Amino acid sequence: MTVAAESLPAEIAGDRGSRVAMLMQTAGALFWLPQAGLIAFIIGGIAEGRGFREALLPAAGVLALGVVRTTFEALGARKAFLAARASLSRRRGHAVAALAAGSPLDRARPASGQAASVVTEQAEALVSYLARFGPARFKAMVVPLVILGAVLPLSWVAALVLLLAAPLIPIFMALIGWRAKAASEAQLAETGNLNGFLLDRLRGLATIRALGAVDATALRLRANAEDLRARTMTVLRIAFLSSAVLELFSALGVALAAVYVGFHLLDALPFGAWGEKLSLGEGLFILLLAPAFFEPLRELSAVWHDRAAGQAAIAALDDVSRGGLALVGGAQADREGGAVASGAVDLRIEGLRFCHAGSGEAVLDGFDLRVAAGEHVAILGPSGSGKTTLLALVAGLAPADNGEISVGGTRLGPESAAGLRRRMAWIGQRPHLFAATLAGNISLGRPEADAQGVTEALRIVALDGLAAARPGAAIGEGGAGLSGGEGLRLALARGAANPRAGLILADEPTAHLDAGTARAITERLLAFAAGRTLVVATHDPVLAARMDRVIRLDLERLEGAA
Amino acid sequence: MTVAFQHLRPVLAFFIGQRRNALLGGALLAAVTVLAGVALLGLSGWFITATAIAGLSSATALAFDVFAPSAGIRLLALGRTASRYGERLVTHDVTLRLLAGLRERLFRGWAGPGAAHQLLRRPARLLFRLTADIDALDSLYLRVLVPMAAALGTAAVVALVLALLHPALGFGAGAWLLLAGLGLPILAAHRALAPARRRAHASEALLARAIDLVAGQTELVMAGRLAAQCAALAGADRRQAESDDALNRIETGVGIGFGLASAVLLSGTLLAVTALAEAGRIGAPAAALGVLVALAALEPFAGLRRGALELGRTLFAARRIGPRLAPTEAAPVSAPPSIPGVAAWLDGVVVRHDGAARSSLTGISLSLQVAETVAIVGPSGAGKSTLLSVIAGEIGLTAGHVEALPATLLTQRSELFQDSLRDNLRLADPAANDAQLMAALASAGLRADVEALPLGLETRLGENGLGLSGGQARRLTLARLVLRDTPLWLLDEPTEGLDGATARDVMARLRDCAQRRCVVIATHVRREAEAADRLIVMEHGQIVATARRGEAGFAVVLAGLRPD
Repeated sequence: MTVAAESLPAEIAGDRGSRVAMLMQTAGALFWLPQAGLIAFIIGGIAEGRGFREALLPAAGVLALGVVRTTFEALGARKAFLAARASLSRRRGHAVAALAAGSPLDRARPASGQAASVVTEQAEALVSYLARFGPARFKAMVVPLVILGAVLPLSWVAALVLLLAAPLIPIFMALIGWRAKAASEAQLAETGNLNGFLLDRLRGLATIRALGAVDATALRLRANAEDLRARTMTVLRIAFLSSAVLELFSALGVALAAVYVGFHLLDALPFGAWGEKLSLGEGLFILLLAPAFFEPLRELSAVWHDRAAGQAAIAALDDVSRGGLALVGGAQADREGGAVASGAVDLRIEGLRFCHAGSGEAVLDGFDLRVAAGEHVAILGPSGSGKTTLLALVAGLAPADNGEISVGGTRLGPESAAGLRRRMAWIGQRPHLFAATLAGNISLGRPEADAQGVTEALRIVALDGLAAARPGAAIGEGGAGLSGGEGLRLALARGAANPRAGLILADEPTAHLDAGTARAITERLLAFAAGRTLVVATHDPVLAARMDRVIRLDLERLEGAA
Repeated sequence: MTVAFQHLRPVLAFFIGQRRNALLGGALLAAVTVLAGVALLGLSGWFITATAIAGLSSATALAFDVFAPSAGIRLLALGRTASRYGERLVTHDVTLRLLAGLRERLFRGWAGPGAAHQLLRRPARLLFRLTADIDALDSLYLRVLVPMAAALGTAAVVALVLALLHPALGFGAGAWLLLAGLGLPILAAHRALAPARRRAHASEALLARAIDLVAGQTELVMAGRLAAQCAALAGADRRQAESDDALNRIETGVGIGFGLASAVLLSGTLLAVTALAEAGRIGAPAAALGVLVALAALEPFAGLRRGALELGRTLFAARRIGPRLAPTEAAPVSAPPSIPGVAAWLDGVVVRHDGAARSSLTGISLSLQVAETVAIVGPSGAGKSTLLSVIAGEIGLTAGHVEALPATLLTQRSELFQDSLRDNLRLADPAANDAQLMAALASAGLRADVEALPLGLETRLGENGLGLSGGQARRLTLARLVLRDTPLWLLDEPTEGLDGATARDVMARLRDCAQRRCVVIATHVRREAEAADRLIVMEHGQIVATARRGEAGFAVVLAGLRPD
């Protein structure tokens, strides 16, 4: 069997608990042999005229063995589950750490929704694979052999019948494995597509309603689902056929063993028992063992589904966990440090170069900039000229290919990045709204942003009215519940909630705002930036005019040299 | 528990209404499969025992009819395979059919006016919960109903067979099967309700925190909270692991329970048949038949285990989704204006969202003329978008009256779907042919762009219209407006996010396409308001000023709006 050679992930294969779990489940299955022996003995006794009293002890044995068997099997399965669940938490932790440490500028990283779904939902397929596949495979290798060993001394013909039915099974197992994998993958993908279609349409429900396309979309959804059904059934028809063949062989194996034993007992087939004649008890024993011979094989084929999904989950998790472009200092460096000084800091950039992986053209190359402590600077330039990249490099969101950045005289590097970030305030272009209250979205759980600081920050950006209207209400993800302008004010409040910030990095803080709000935000930003260094990337001529200095990024060499 | 099951009723009613016969057929085949297995074992045991006794003397051996039972054994072996194959095909086919029907019905349920508005105010995370809920309902038939039918069918037949040996034995075994076989899953389902709910919550928290981590990474790293967020994720995983553990403990308990119940039934049957044989009421072959039938009797009940553990989740889903399964009521159509030449007429309109402290709209009275272009201006939060939704009949009024011509509302985030360009356009007019689509694209200024695409109208768009620039996406929605062809267009910030030159081009095309229509534009930028015949200024949900083109106030209001 090719699966016999396949190795499970190291943490399961090498885990003592998992090995014990495997042995316990296998031992549990083997307890059926003595139990079957006792049952056969009792029925044989009935035929020989033994009475009720003589059956009491063996019947108690059947009960006791049944208790032991089920306990071994259940506790073994539980042990296997515990090991598998621990493995899920471990792998999840690795993937989360890798996602946290990756740079947002890394274009090769998976889309956020996809990564989140891999780490949470898809990863769950790991548990049933790791918990069930190993024990099922081990059982399938051991139990049929032991049963064969028990049947052979009684009757070589019965053993031969089982043996002949069994070798065909691996062939079909391969078939089933292949087909079942194809079927489950196809079905999973298609069901995913169908859910995706539904979600996509529900998100755009306003548009669909506006266009009067509800009926057409509903029919389309139906047609897609019907189409999915038709295609899935085509695959399943074959997949089920191959598993039906497995069923057929195991049923025929049992039937042939029974018929042989029956004819043998009638002396119609007097051979096969090593020259002896089987007793009724022996015949029944063989009959009782026959289904148990095939059971582990059927179980193995049943966990094949888990195996395909589990392996896909492992591959997806490994993919997410693979490190790419990383944050300067990584994710773990932002532990609470000592006291942080406050006040304006200067910024010095020398010979900065950054180029996206796989892109031939550098976004920034040989860029120099000096911003004095407390100076306010606007970075102007067309889209794609590297304004946002520049801010991101200053914040250490990605390592520069070349050049040097110093903030307040400290050079930005893996050791210093976390400390320097605590002296920066970041006002992003598309602030993410966390699944939390408005206040929680501003403090982000920072110890330095206490309730008073949050209230003050809300007031600075004029969101206090909104906070008062909806106290304690969660603002959802994706901006539901906040308008674009409110979202940007929230980002500003996040920055303002850090009183120690000496360098403010703002990425288009007035985009998409009405004139009044843009004016107000500009004033709020400048008020917050008083006594602090401010670098703002913007298109807004009004905002740029309020800065001490304007740097045009397309002309940065001239300006930077000035 | 019984209250919880109430929530299943609309789901079950929907299932039965959709495919009664196929549902029954699948369950019946499942029962037949299990019974064939039981019968195969029972008959084999009887056959071996009977042949052993007959084989004791050559006279009885010759007289023994071997062919009927051995043919029966072979028939059962083949029949079991066939019915198993049939069962799997039928049940999966039915599940997929239900899945199709369920999604269509739910979509229609959510597309009703009230529900749609509710849904749109929920964050995207809840949309994910929704698909998880639907998946949970999908498993109701396969995991609960089919195994239940198979188990009950088996219990009935096993009890009947044993009753032929002795009525008391049959009755006792039947009672035991029902007590243990149904009692254990019901107990497990009951005990699993709380951990299953905790698990659902933990999984949602896990997903929300994972989304926050990846999408909000920059904010987190700048706030020095990245490690804290990883810890929060680990916390949610721990809570999920704890509920997983609780569920597994219940599962283990049920497994042991079934094992014990089976061992008790087996040893009890062994003793009973021994006693009956001793009393001379049955022979050894019948005793063998009875024991082997009892041996397999509890196996189908074990199939209920997984469904029982997931039942809490399923009930949870049914409670949230059930209300949307009711047949949808027809959408209320707002009455057309009674006065000719009027496109929309509002009188004393008040809108207050549920739970909001103040009204979104207060005392709005307004009349819009056919062939008029009106711009509604004001700061964000003034109620501009709400007013458009009112005219479109999308949201109910707290007070007041609205009459309007059929309208098309282009929302702030006008959605493009993950579909081909052609199907994105045909949402507006399913009957449109390619020539009409290209004509609409031409008037929206997008024809050349589409013709330059290698796949043309076949080009697939990604999430949120990925693959198109902002300007192209806006032009595409404009083309949809043209195809839709209603006399009233309601546009919410139609050029938001576009650079000045592109925005002006889109506005110019919009004017050309509008022709004799009434166009209402909600905006805070000058370039969108410039073309209006009338400006309406809103603040705090009220109209505070209006100015017609040519009036002195018109230029003043325009000047107060934002340049690009």
